[in-house]
Amino acid sequence: MPEATLRTLSDPGRAGPASRLSRLAPVHWLALAFLAAALGFAAVAWATGNGFYLRLATEALIFAGLAMSVDLLLGYTGLLSLGQALYFGLGAYVSALVLRDVAPSFWLAMAAALLAGGVAGLIGGVIANRVKGVYFALITFGLAQVAAKTVYNTRALGASDGLIGIPQIRVGFGPFSLDTADPLSFFLLVLGLTVAAYAGLSYLMDAPFGRTLAAIRANEKRVPFLGFNAWRYKLAVYVLAACVAALAGALYPMLRGFVSPELMFFETSGNAVITVIVGGVGTLVGPVVGSLLLTALRSVVGSWTEHHLIVVGVIFMLSVIFLRKGLVGALLARLNRRGEQGRTAP
Amino acid sequence: MTASPLRTATAGGACALGVRGLSVNFGGLQAVAGVGFEAAAGRITSVIGPNGAGKSTLFNLISGAIRPTGGRVTLDGADVTGRSPDRLLAAGLARSFQITNLFFELPVLENLRIAAQVLERPWHALRPVGHSRRALAKADALLERFGLTAKARELAGNLSHGEQRRLEIAVALAAEPRVLLLDEPTQGMSHGDTADTGALIRSLAGDLTVLLIEHDIGLVMSLSDHVVVMAQGRKIAEGPPAVVRADPAVQAAYFGHG
Repeated sequence: MPEATLRTLSDPGRAGPASRLSRLAPVHWLALAFLAAALGFAAVAWATGNGFYLRLATEALIFAGLAMSVDLLLGYTGLLSLGQALYFGLGAYVSALVLRDVAPSFWLAMAAALLAGGVAGLIGGVIANRVKGVYFALITFGLAQVAAKTVYNTRALGASDGLIGIPQIRVGFGPFSLDTADPLSFFLLVLGLTVAAYAGLSYLMDAPFGRTLAAIRANEKRVPFLGFNAWRYKLAVYVLAACVAALAGALYPMLRGFVSPELMFFETSGNAVITVIVGGVGTLVGPVVGSLLLTALRSVVGSWTEHHLIVVGVIFMLSVIFLRKGLVGALLARLNRRGEQGRTAP
Repeated sequence: MTASPLRTATAGGACALGVRGLSVNFGGLQAVAGVGFEAAAGRITSVIGPNGAGKSTLFNLISGAIRPTGGRVTLDGADVTGRSPDRLLAAGLARSFQITNLFFELPVLENLRIAAQVLERPWHALRPVGHSRRALAKADALLERFGLTAKARELAGNLSHGEQRRLEIAVALAAEPRVLLLDEPTQGMSHGDTADTGALIRSLAGDLTVLLIEHDIGLVMSLSDHVVVMAQGRKIAEGPPAVVRADPAVQAAYFGHG
């Protein structure tokens, strides 16, 4: 729920622009704390030469991008997408094909994935937004299944094996460049992109555009009577979410050197929804925290038992029952309560 | 323009909202059948009639919530029949709802800010909220006018019934419409609140053309410049309050069942 953003509701007449700037919303403090923790983790992992955990954390951040895209729809607009992996997988395949067959260019791969995600999102959005509620969820599910099965049966795309042998590349930023083969460099790159996505999307969700989405989530029927075309807003956020998912997916082959149809399967879409709900719906930090937590859990529990999905399932149910707003939502509620006490104290 | 609805027919009086032969069928049931009237600019026109007369359906037809199967709606002479609610709002027509229809999980101020956002240029949707100065100023002014300033940060869902009814009208006013449809604004209000709301509606007329559905007959008769009476989907009478009250058909269909 965009409660987090609403707390930053500007206060005309009473608070000047300066006091607005100085008051960073609690959710952003949480994001900063998370960033500090991530950098600390990177330093420790680098110092101990632990590439495995850096790569695992990078993967968690990539799937956090997918989860953020689900959060845009679910947390801000109230649309449950059960097929967001379609756009994630699309971005991954487009990126893999560009890197392998066209040019080993990071920026070209990202641009191609963005374009593909935007076009596919527009088509998917026009189809899915014809209906509401559970039917919307079912259509997104169906679209992703169709795409996944098509890829699975297409020999040119490697069919069930996927595409392998994606080259490792150098990413250039003007005079600087880094190597995706170096775990620390690539982790920092993906972390930077995650922070940029968080900042950009938070900004957009707190602007009138995002707040109209919140209005759609709260009471879609009233929205047209206030002069907004709700359908256009829902299509816009659907395309935005598809682009975010495709960009996240584009990073996957750079990390793992391969893509496979599993990236588009329901398990990927479903995991993204679970990630958002466990982490905290409508916060954008929640999906990142949730992704890191669930990835770590899968890795740790997965090393003990093959049945780690049972553990994830139980955690999901417990968090739905006991932490309705997810981990970040519960933390924010506590922070806000403390903030209010602080304000009322003499 | 002064805000007195009781002026004689010199200024204003032109047809702001025209309805001609408006009809809709719900699976064979003629919910609204060939209703026509004109709402004069700056005046208060009321629609009354017993339950099930089709008053709310008429509002839904005019405000674009339902598409009519026949007839026309004009705004300042321009045909707007069958337009979607968002396009009608852009053309200057806003409405409130009989059953409070707010963003209950959003703060009161945010309800008003969202409703006033159409006053801004489209690209303000992508700029920080603080840049939407007109919308924010409008929201503040409405908080003040409707006595909700102290509740600005409360969630709309936590307001009392009377406050929610007031916010419902304020939200409809936020876009600065030229024609305002009020669907039973005093529904469930106490006597005192009803009187206050009547005074408020009176203060709106003049700048604004008001079309009102209201159950409180006393309020209708004291407020309205023009009254349209409906029964069973049809218009059975119209005219100034005193004329309508004396109409035998109205007596039979409406007051007779009191």
